[in-house]
Amino acid sequence: MNHTRQRHLLPLLNHATLILFALVLAGFGLLSPKFLTAANLSHLLVQASSTAVIGVGVTFVLLTAGVDLSIGSIMFVAAAVAGKLALGGAPLAVTLPAILGVGMVFGALNALLVTRLGILAFIATLGSLYVGRGFGLWLTQTRAMNLPDSFLTLGTVRLVGVPLPLVISGGVVAVAHIVLTRTPFGRQIYAVGNHLAAARKAGLNTRRLLATVYIFSGLCAAIGGILSLAQLGAVSPTFGTNREFTAIAAAVLGGTSLFGGRGGVFPGTVLGAVLIQSVENGLVILNADPYLYPLVTAGIIFLAVLIDSTRSRLMAHWGQRKIFV
Amino acid sequence: MNVAADTGSPSGSSRLTAALRSEYLVLFLCAGLFGGLAPFTPGLASTDNFLGLFGNLAPLLLVALGQTLVLIVGGIDLSVTSIIALTSVVGALVMNRDTGWLAGSGAAAPVAIGVMLVLGGLIGAGNGLAVTKLRMPAFMVTLTALMFFSGLAIWLTQSKNIGNLPTAFTELGSRPALALPLAALIAGLVHLLLERSLYGRWLRACGFNARTAHVSGVPVEAVVIATYVASGVLAAAASVLYTGRLETGSPVLGQRILLDVIGATVLGGTSLFGGKGRVSWTFFGVLFLSLLDNALNLLGLSHFTIMMVKGGVILLAALLDTARTRWFNA
Amino acid sequence: MSPLLQFESVGKAFLGVDVLKAVSFGVAPGRIVGLVGENGAGKSTLMNLLGGNLRPDTGSMQFQGAPYAPRDSRDARRAGIGFVHQELNLFTNLDLAENLFLSDFPTRGGLIRRRELHRRASALLQRVGLGLPTTTVVSRLSTGERQLLEVARALSFDARLLILDEPTTSLSVPERERLFALVRQLRAEGRSLIYISHTLGDVLDLADELVVLRDGAVVGQGPACQFSSDRLVALMVGRELKQLFPQRQRPRLPNSAECLAAPAGLPLLEVRGLGQPGVVQDISFTLHRGEVLGVSGLMGAGRTELARILFGLDPHAAGTMTLAGPPLTGPPRERIRRGLALLTESRRDDGLCLEASVADNLALVTVGRHARSPLGLLRFAGLRAALGKVRAAVRLQPRLTDEQAVQTLSGGNQQKVVLAKWLLAEPQVLLLDEPTRGIDVGAKFEIYQLIHQLADRGAGVVVISSELEELTGLCDRILVMNRGRITGEFSRDNFDSARILQAALPT
Repeated sequence: MNHTRQRHLLPLLNHATLILFALVLAGFGLLSPKFLTAANLSHLLVQASSTAVIGVGVTFVLLTAGVDLSIGSIMFVAAAVAGKLALGGAPLAVTLPAILGVGMVFGALNALLVTRLGILAFIATLGSLYVGRGFGLWLTQTRAMNLPDSFLTLGTVRLVGVPLPLVISGGVVAVAHIVLTRTPFGRQIYAVGNHLAAARKAGLNTRRLLATVYIFSGLCAAIGGILSLAQLGAVSPTFGTNREFTAIAAAVLGGTSLFGGRGGVFPGTVLGAVLIQSVENGLVILNADPYLYPLVTAGIIFLAVLIDSTRSRLMAHWGQRKIFV
Repeated sequence: MNVAADTGSPSGSSRLTAALRSEYLVLFLCAGLFGGLAPFTPGLASTDNFLGLFGNLAPLLLVALGQTLVLIVGGIDLSVTSIIALTSVVGALVMNRDTGWLAGSGAAAPVAIGVMLVLGGLIGAGNGLAVTKLRMPAFMVTLTALMFFSGLAIWLTQSKNIGNLPTAFTELGSRPALALPLAALIAGLVHLLLERSLYGRWLRACGFNARTAHVSGVPVEAVVIATYVASGVLAAAASVLYTGRLETGSPVLGQRILLDVIGATVLGGTSLFGGKGRVSWTFFGVLFLSLLDNALNLLGLSHFTIMMVKGGVILLAALLDTARTRWFNA
Repeated sequence: MSPLLQFESVGKAFLGVDVLKAVSFGVAPGRIVGLVGENGAGKSTLMNLLGGNLRPDTGSMQFQGAPYAPRDSRDARRAGIGFVHQELNLFTNLDLAENLFLSDFPTRGGLIRRRELHRRASALLQRVGLGLPTTTVVSRLSTGERQLLEVARALSFDARLLILDEPTTSLSVPERERLFALVRQLRAEGRSLIYISHTLGDVLDLADELVVLRDGAVVGQGPACQFSSDRLVALMVGRELKQLFPQRQRPRLPNSAECLAAPAGLPLLEVRGLGQPGVVQDISFTLHRGEVLGVSGLMGAGRTELARILFGLDPHAAGTMTLAGPPLTGPPRERIRRGLALLTESRRDDGLCLEASVADNLALVTVGRHARSPLGLLRFAGLRAALGKVRAAVRLQPRLTDEQAVQTLSGGNQQKVVLAKWLLAEPQVLLLDEPTRGIDVGAKFEIYQLIHQLADRGAGVVVISSELEELTGLCDRILVMNRGRITGEFSRDNFDSARILQAALPT
């Protein structure tokens, strides 16, 4: 009798985020005819692209059982640098690589702190969160910066009919997915997250591996910063604040464990990011009280995490070794 | 393999290594910071400044103590700032002299404080239940609680402050003569609880190894829930002081201090992996961050410089801590 | 024949204490060298030097005729030295093939060549006799299968020298036989092995040569045929141990009617028809006062699971348990109050708080007796007195301070701490799950003495052990479990290893 219940429940729980996503889509679709239109869905994906990209970056870090709290600050610094350069008349061809460089430098700083100096990732990235935010505020002199239109076109221009932000985020996701599933480096990330000491004993260069992961997260944060910037068109002093939490939430919603070694970017993190964005998008379309957005989003994330831990609990319970059948 | 460690501590430690190993390291750093900056910083050593410094420090210490308990049990509580904001708003809704539920009543202030503390405890209980009964990761539980309750505080007030609070209430937060002894008393109680009570023993055991604790008859779930409740109540107590100082209930109260709370606690030496932590350590950590903040403000440095320096100092302290564990426990 | 590996007066000290003193011996090609010694004798340090995790202070190593000074585990691997550690170093989230080739995947254009990977992996697995699909995730493997996978991993880079560190502690009899056959096969291929184990019978059985370490020095060395189990023990402890098991002071409790009259023989723990689907079935037995009851069986026979159910850690669907009359119910907390104690299979996982102090670990179960309420203050005088008394009772070395973290203690001392923790609770029934696993001969003897003392005082003791010799030496009666059921019961006067083993083997 137990077995039939397992058979029915497990697929449900395994695809909890997907089911939740379907319910959210269906719910908003029923409440507003505007929600499920092609235009809105494409808009939704564009909106979600920034979260998806930073989520991909943090997924790599989480897979190694680390964490990156400095993402929001890196986004801010990248945006601030972009603003400075763009307002100073630099062409996009200079600005964009510069931003990516900023992200990687910050990532490298985190990597240095974590791998060379042996500081806990939580504390190290907490420190660079402060340093980054302060540095960004200094760059902008705590004033909002409006960017030239060239930046906004980044968000609207289309490549073979596909909005550029989607091309970029899609590219990042595709590369990340292939790296994680098909390359030695990707598999080694899972190994490090599962058992760091054993990975070292197995002859992996765990320092270089971890360093790469933090640099990649910084790079993703910078790309995510550009994508956000392209939609907002301005850098405010609070740009990027708490986005690290959104990124972590997207990753965890997508089934990535906070304890390392389990998860992935596709469909995982992407689905998590889109789910978070659809809730927000749906509430906007319904004209809901804007102050309610965070409440609903928090509720949905809580639900997804609850389902995931219920799944793990039941799996552990059912998976208990049977001595005889 | 264990034979070396069995023989105990190494011999011949110089004064410097003794200082580095000491649990008073952060206090020494505070003294160094103060001594180093006082000559260049006008007013750092003045009585007024001390009162202001400790007035700022008292509520931060209360939140950090709650965080210390939660970190010892092996969890984390990111929701503390939302508890501060929500209790501030709800307390103000109860007692403000215009539209409050108890407007004008003499009991307004005490009832409001009671409501705030109970509300903080309830949110903590919710966190604790989700972590124990539903086995959800503390980081995510308290992160969603943070988003939800700070959102709730803003929604309740439509992002407006609530002023005109009873004087009896605002005095508590704004008069150092009241706030400081109160905070010291609470800190003393938490210290006794942690070092000399059965709960303290259980708390550490759960943090070190919850499975061992369970097998040894420790009521693990009850201990964990109680700890999150304590963190919620302490955050609410901090909210009483903050709200009183500000003389308004604010839905964004405490929004910026989350990282200060965790930073100060970990800086003091409390481990993120559970089991280790002390009230005195957290006090030193809070003192250090407050002193730094205070001195940098007095130096007339801008907001962003302060942030950068703070970040750098957190990193430096972490580095020092890593260095000493690596040198002495390797 | 020149040796494959040679240690030349290798020395190492930690914090001024010599852990290795001028150790010299060689390993010839195609030979198995058994390395034995008590915990703390220096075996692990020696292997850490070999693996590149530590560097020698004095002396040198030679491998394949050339000086060998590895800086890290990669160097050891490159030289052709493979380790199968006591704590397995596998990645439970990856599949078999990925575990085997983690550091040298076959690739094309940066991508893993999956077909090639799985082809190579299955060839390796075949060699060690592990007939599982290469896409199986390691978390689904039994301990024995994981051990074989570790060996396969060492073969993946064609190791010339393999070090097996306590490989059989958690293996079933068939799994162990399989591993031994593989070890012999590897020797036949001309590879050398260093085999480290506390199970002296296995070492004598397998090894061509033996090296005995004591206090960091080689105290015995030579062809295996020159050693007997008794001589090995004598060399390891440095004195002649007359016996492995202490003599019980009081006469053994027979199962006859006369002892029912004696208070010591009264039934204490009665289990009737205990069952949990898929775990245990129809378990009934009675534990008497003053009795030491052994539970034998293979790995996975349900012994640990039974203990956990008795202690209230796992649920059960059928049956009853009573302790001195009233039924035994509720969570562990409740059962501890009734006088039950459980020493778990794994000290690290759920026996100790490793980073906490000796005193805090000792007091964990009983500290509540020194406080009026959870929030009330502890009465430290009483607590300290109790700790002092129990430390003396288990003969915990005086040089170990109360404040010292338990993780700095040797395995034997750690186990004494766990036992002492439960002794403080003055239990009526002790459930001991593998009480002497991974601890040395001297400490074992002392733990046996403690078990007897407890029984003599009228407590009932249940000992679960995979070492049959231990059970026959220690117990008054032995139950045998097989696939979740009790399949045999033997009283002391008809202990027969062959028949006990027979009852344990799957039919």
